[in-house]
Amino acid sequence: MVEFTILLILLSMLLALISAAIGETVYDKILAVNIFGTITVLFIAVYGFVTGRPDFLDIALVYALISFVTTIAVLKFFEYGDMGKSSTDREQDIDI
Amino acid sequence: MEHHQVLRIVSRFLIPLIMLFALYVQFHGDYGPGGGFQAGVIFAVGFILYGLIYGVERLRQVVNPSLMRSLSALGVLMYAGVGVASMLSGGEFLNYSVLAEDPVAGQHIGILIIEFGVGLTVASTMTILFYAFAKPY
Repeated sequence: MVEFTILLILLSMLLALISAAIGETVYDKILAVNIFGTITVLFIAVYGFVTGRPDFLDIALVYALISFVTTIAVLKFFEYGDMGKSSTDREQDIDI
Repeated sequence: MEHHQVLRIVSRFLIPLIMLFALYVQFHGDYGPGGGFQAGVIFAVGFILYGLIYGVERLRQVVNPSLMRSLSALGVLMYAGVGVASMLSGGEFLNYSVLAEDPVAGQHIGILIIEFGVGLTVASTMTILFYAFAKPY
């Protein structure tokens, strides 16, 4: 039963990758990659229980945290073209 | 990005949890998956998230770049210092067993200090990398 779950999760990972590949705008692609990250968290958790190592939940937590920050970083890069910009800088740019 | 209210509040909520989790990974490395390198990266992710939301200039005020450079060197110094200390106590380089009366207690002390040094170096180096990639304004 749990093996079947793993199979389904792998299938949905594949679907998320395909949707990332054929996504038209960059936002579609980022959304697909974000979904892929979420499914990967599920995969790590289920895999840990199948192999009898619930410690894998820690790794799943790390993956969730880092994929959240990655999405913010990529979106910020596409929105502002730079990682370190703050909104006060943006207002100064508009004044100039 | 301070004007994104949802992002700002969620990040404010998450940054302390990320750092707490990094400390858990650091000091629970004896018993579960974890260790200095992973903990350092997770700790730096907290700083990087702060820098993404509030801008790199604000992050520079919170975390001094020159302090980060010193800390990255200090971690390596701790690592090598444990090795030299075990040499001075009569063992080989990085032979933790001689650090205490009881070899097992010595190994615990040695691995904890070494992993702490690794975590310090990795966290500060990751923050320096973020400074290097985010353009100053």
